[in-house]
Amino acid sequence: MSELNTAVQEPKAHPRRKQKEKKPNSLWSDAWYDLRRNKVFLVGTAIAILLILMAIMPGVFAPQNPLACNLVDARQGISSEHWFGIDNQGCDTFSRVIHGARISILVGLLTSVVTGLVGGVLGLIAGFYGRWVDVILSRLAEIFFAIPSILGALLLLSAVGRDAAGVWTVVLALAILAWPMVLRIMRAAVITAKSQDYVTAARALGASPFRISVRHILPNAVAPVIVVCTMNLGVFIAGEAALSFLGVGIQSPNISWGLMIADARNRFLMAPEPLIFPAIFLSITVLSFVMIGDAVRDALDPKLR
Amino acid sequence: MRVTKGARIVAGTALLAVAVAACGGGGGGTATNDGGGSSAQPVRVDIAKPQHELSPTNTNDTSGAEVLNALFVGLVDYDKDKNVILRGAESIEPDAESKMWTIKLKDGYKFHNGEAVTAKSYVDAWNAAAYGPNVQEGGHFFSAVKGYEDVAPVDPDGEEGPQKAPEPKAKTLSGLKVVDEKTFTVELAHPYSGFKTMLGYTTFMPMPSAAFDGNGGIKREFGENPIGNGPFKMAKPFKLATDTTISMVRYDEFVEGKAKIDAVEFKISSDKGTSWNELRAGNLDIMDQLPPEAIATAKQELGDRYIEQPSSGVGYFGFNARNGEEWAKNPELRKAVSMAIDRKTITEQVFSGTRVPADDFVSPIVAGYRKGACVECVYDPAKAKALWDKNGGGKGPVSLSYNGDGGHKEWIEAAANNLRQNLGVEVKVDAFESFAAILDELDKGKVTGGFRMAWIMDYPSMENYLRPIFGTGGSSNHGRYSNKDFDELLVKGDSAKSDEEGVKFYQQAGDMLVKDMPYIPVYFYQTNAGYSQRVKNVTIDPFERIDLAKVERVS
Repeated sequence: MSELNTAVQEPKAHPRRKQKEKKPNSLWSDAWYDLRRNKVFLVGTAIAILLILMAIMPGVFAPQNPLACNLVDARQGISSEHWFGIDNQGCDTFSRVIHGARISILVGLLTSVVTGLVGGVLGLIAGFYGRWVDVILSRLAEIFFAIPSILGALLLLSAVGRDAAGVWTVVLALAILAWPMVLRIMRAAVITAKSQDYVTAARALGASPFRISVRHILPNAVAPVIVVCTMNLGVFIAGEAALSFLGVGIQSPNISWGLMIADARNRFLMAPEPLIFPAIFLSITVLSFVMIGDAVRDALDPKLR
Repeated sequence: MRVTKGARIVAGTALLAVAVAACGGGGGGTATNDGGGSSAQPVRVDIAKPQHELSPTNTNDTSGAEVLNALFVGLVDYDKDKNVILRGAESIEPDAESKMWTIKLKDGYKFHNGEAVTAKSYVDAWNAAAYGPNVQEGGHFFSAVKGYEDVAPVDPDGEEGPQKAPEPKAKTLSGLKVVDEKTFTVELAHPYSGFKTMLGYTTFMPMPSAAFDGNGGIKREFGENPIGNGPFKMAKPFKLATDTTISMVRYDEFVEGKAKIDAVEFKISSDKGTSWNELRAGNLDIMDQLPPEAIATAKQELGDRYIEQPSSGVGYFGFNARNGEEWAKNPELRKAVSMAIDRKTITEQVFSGTRVPADDFVSPIVAGYRKGACVECVYDPAKAKALWDKNGGGKGPVSLSYNGDGGHKEWIEAAANNLRQNLGVEVKVDAFESFAAILDELDKGKVTGGFRMAWIMDYPSMENYLRPIFGTGGSSNHGRYSNKDFDELLVKGDSAKSDEEGVKFYQQAGDMLVKDMPYIPVYFYQTNAGYSQRVKNVTIDPFERIDLAKVERVS
């Protein structure tokens, strides 16, 4: 047991910036200072930037047209021309994986933004006004919160039908079930901020409720929401892939990693490449956003310091 | 009959499939292999969902026919060489010009409720099938019988139109007459030498008096709990909307001798890939068609338990030529689509070479097939593009629909890629959740563009590949094709003195199809079946039906 006791940690000094400037450090500048020195954040961001570039201009990265398939070549393995092999329809897997980034990242970003806006605004209202507004919004959120998200999205999308399935329907299906989480976090942060002295001061100075909530409460309550939204981004990307895999999300000829995995799974033993590579990209993408989210949380949450 | 066979991805079950596949899937028999006591597990057979309740008069899909084949026995059957052999009939004799047929029944056949099978059992069933207001899938098969127009008058503006069909003048076919307990006569509207050959199909099965409501109709309960005269009887009623299995037990008093197994369970599956994994894991005993992705490895995995043999099936693309998308209405554009599909590569890459690129509207296994008869079925992308542009094919979107429970996704996607690349059109692929679902939409005329369809013969005759699918008002005429000259050629073929002469007329009718291309033939089927270690003596006929009475348990 004595060995374990030797591993006592030295109390770590916070690597705060040397205070040469007179201006006091805000939460944001501190966080940015932390993040720039956080390796996890840097690696995550580098991957994410690469993926986002791929999503914006897939043509630059992909050597071939992902829809130009030649069935004769189906299931050929890895070659210098086809880095990730060829799928069951004779399409170049590498080009398809690159093009698949667009929909995954688009769905992830849009869902994060939609849940952030809806949950954030409603959370602000619920926390700021309290009483019956809070009761109604919170109960409403709990109703949605009770539905398991993938199962709920599956039901919603099957109800909408294949004809309407697309990026926006997937975004809405995921967002409808995810906004209550943001609402809860926002509401809690607002309630904490509301009782602070500077809010009382602003109120005493006669500021309008709108001004108080937007200028004084929001900037001090938004940090946890940003953390949750960043971390959720990865979760939403995985959600999109799952829904597409199950056949209710993105529909062919649109390219999605989930769809690619579904198409390749039946012949996995004959040709593993068309399944393995989109799966790897999916994992890396989700991982990169979770890494960013994790780092942002560490930087923004003063309690962890 | 129309076919659904193969594999696909469906929500939920997909995850299970992956899980099972990940376990290695080598499986084999289950531990509870007790070899045939009364408590033994039933023999489990994979099927897709039947389209309707199980009435012989209203079944036109392979799944429903497979089930009814275990419950019912008809007048005739077919041997290995597709010759007619008598089964329920003692004799079937035509008059000199093949217009008046006298059918005598064998003694001893009984329905499962004890009622004897009589001439009336057949006549009543056939009348109920043909009676227009009953809207039975098999009705059109009786169009050759005298008096059909009186019981099923033609709807003046088609099924979709606002006008209703006029009230039928008669409730029964005037051509059907009961002579005595065991004899009845059939008078046809025109001479038809091949009539006897038709009689083995499901639609011509007898039905007991308990099936009828006394007013020309068929009781709904009968479809849920059909009482047949075959080797197996229903163990419990089957509810189409909710049940996922159809259970049967052996009918011990069956006059042809008891079946070898005491119970059969049909398991309705929505994904052939999952069924394949179930078979490998020992949770399923017989699959009469394996999914394409399994074909390549099945021989190695199943060994002797893998069956590969020619089938009578033809796979098509059909088109809604009456009220569908503009391109689907134009025969020249349909030809362009036909020429743009690379049949050979699809059969090789998707089906591991176990399908044959189609070059005629009829299967090579029936008399009358001509190699290369469909000149528009030859892959020629340049010509296809020129034809497409010349006739204003445009940029699409072109929609292709198929049923997701039959293992068709891969080849439909491949064909869609062909059209995208060779014609430069946008293609929308639409998967229906089941064959039953797409048939229901087709019956309503609501599938807009092209759709996958297939045909397995009901009886071994070239005529069976033409009239039900392309004849005006045909039972499976989903493209709503109607051509007077074509119909007349079929009648001429029916009335011909000899089979050879008849085939010549049928071939002329086939040439008209090549000119109009109401459907485009894509490939000829092959049976790729497999079974578990728990059963043996599994045989599958060219109609893709399992001979369940012969199947045995491995003890």
